Amino acid sequence: MKGPVIHRSPMPGLGLSMGITITMLSLVVLLPIGALLMKGANYGLAGIWETVNRERVWTALFLSFRLSLFAATLNLVFGVLLAWVLVRYRFPGRRILDAAVDLPFALPTAVAGIALTALYAPKGAFGQLAAEIGWKIAYTQWGIFIALVFVGLPFVARTVQPVIEEIEREVEEASATLGASRLHTIRHVILPMLLPAALTGFALALARAVGEYGSVIFIAGNIPLVTEIAPLLIIIQLEEFNYDAAAAIGIAMLLISFAMLLLINLIQVWSRRRIGYV
Amino acid sequence: MSDATVSRPVRFRAATEESPATRWTLIAVAVVGLGILVFAPLVTVFVMALADGVVASLESLTHKDAREAIRLTLTIAAISVPLNAIFGVAAAWFITKFDFRGKAFLITLIDLPFSVSPVVAGLCIVLMFGTNSLVGGWLVAQGYPIVFAMPGIILATMFVTFPFVARELIPVMIEQGRAEEEAALTLGAGGWRVFWTVTLPNIRWALLYGVLLCNARAMGEFGAVAVVSGKIRGQTATIPTTIEMLYQEYLSVAAFTLAAVLALLALVTLVLKTLLELRHADELAATHRH
Repeated sequence: MKGPVIHRSPMPGLGLSMGITITMLSLVVLLPIGALLMKGANYGLAGIWETVNRERVWTALFLSFRLSLFAATLNLVFGVLLAWVLVRYRFPGRRILDAAVDLPFALPTAVAGIALTALYAPKGAFGQLAAEIGWKIAYTQWGIFIALVFVGLPFVARTVQPVIEEIEREVEEASATLGASRLHTIRHVILPMLLPAALTGFALALARAVGEYGSVIFIAGNIPLVTEIAPLLIIIQLEEFNYDAAAAIGIAMLLISFAMLLLINLIQVWSRRRIGYV
Repeated sequence: MSDATVSRPVRFRAATEESPATRWTLIAVAVVGLGILVFAPLVTVFVMALADGVVASLESLTHKDAREAIRLTLTIAAISVPLNAIFGVAAAWFITKFDFRGKAFLITLIDLPFSVSPVVAGLCIVLMFGTNSLVGGWLVAQGYPIVFAMPGIILATMFVTFPFVARELIPVMIEQGRAEEEAALTLGAGGWRVFWTVTLPNIRWALLYGVLLCNARAMGEFGAVAVVSGKIRGQTATIPTTIEMLYQEYLSVAAFTLAAVLALLALVTLVLKTLLELRHADELAATHRH
């Protein structure tokens, strides 16, 4: 049963609002992305494959993805803990802590990048401590990992918080009266309820980390094959005016983004079917 | 008589609470974790900025490059944020006041910039409007270069901040429904009058919230702007790209002072955001999303 494309409505402003929406969306987002895909189409699949299928590019893509996965996993655990503490416990300074969770969203990536580098460089406050046990953080993959943990920090906490707020105490009380220990209740009653939201946050943090540039390049050291992230390769190709190669790597990253977007949507569909809310 | 009688009442713990030891351990982990991850970098920015004293930092801000960068960033934000606000309101109106096929797909497209790497976003704009492209080549021939000039930076900034206002407004306007607007229409109000006197007062805090986040990101965007701007000193270098240049020239105080300016902006944004969430929680999407 198919209705008309746009239902008749007494509301005013259909033409204007649709016009602005479609025009600006096309001009700012769709046409530029289309230009990238066109460039890739002209370059051809074989050309794209030839560019991407080089050790340096594979290493960078794999490095970006692997470290993002590790960082998002740490964010998953710490984010759930953070959300629980912020919703369930009352302690002095809770509001400040709550506001601070958003700082990685608000702080520009370049600022975060140089601050983290200053902190973890061999002469920095944390870098010195680490150096004493022979642990080098800045200019290694550890540095990239820390920067990615920083930028992904808010996602899980912010998606899980509203879900914890909505858990009804009766559920936990029922579990307790049936003889479950607190740990048992948390493992078998509460955590399953948080899982869909936590996974959504995880996927968002992962997507953000894979494409992250500003906060990473300062602390990474950018050594080819060791600490070179995928977005940096695009910049390098652009600086050499090698637009075809830049487009090829860009398309590879765009595909990863789309896959991630699909994953997030699938998680939401699955969770809606499973418990009725996200 | 045994003296084993309880001298003080036993404190019972509700079955739905963790033991105090567990609770305080979790709080401690949260505080220490956020302290290391978030507070330490923030403090570092200010410590590094003031390494040579207040005078030296303030002096670095009066340098021509710094002044030009601040001016450019303010100009970029003043153009791109209102444009995105207009888009956000129009898109939210279109999506929530009308029924049409493909609505979910349209929302996905609007959200798309959030999942695209800023560098890829910049690359897209270079490929669309660069000198080598069809459109860009023609525009350059007419004397309107986009890439390595202000319009490109504005486009890149708009790309990365595109969803902020719309995605804040859409849930709020869905929840408010159409009844109030329909009532105003039956009473004879025109379209614009309905918008200004009925819709806008209902969504003003959500709009402000979206604009606030959009502005913070617009002023701080680095990756996308670095790709399209060409980072020409005094011409196309924004605050974030100037920070990078100063940092790479080992002008640490100057770099961190500009960074401190942006960090202050971030802090002000967070304070205003928290205030909005406290005062107008019921009119924001962020505070009661499901």
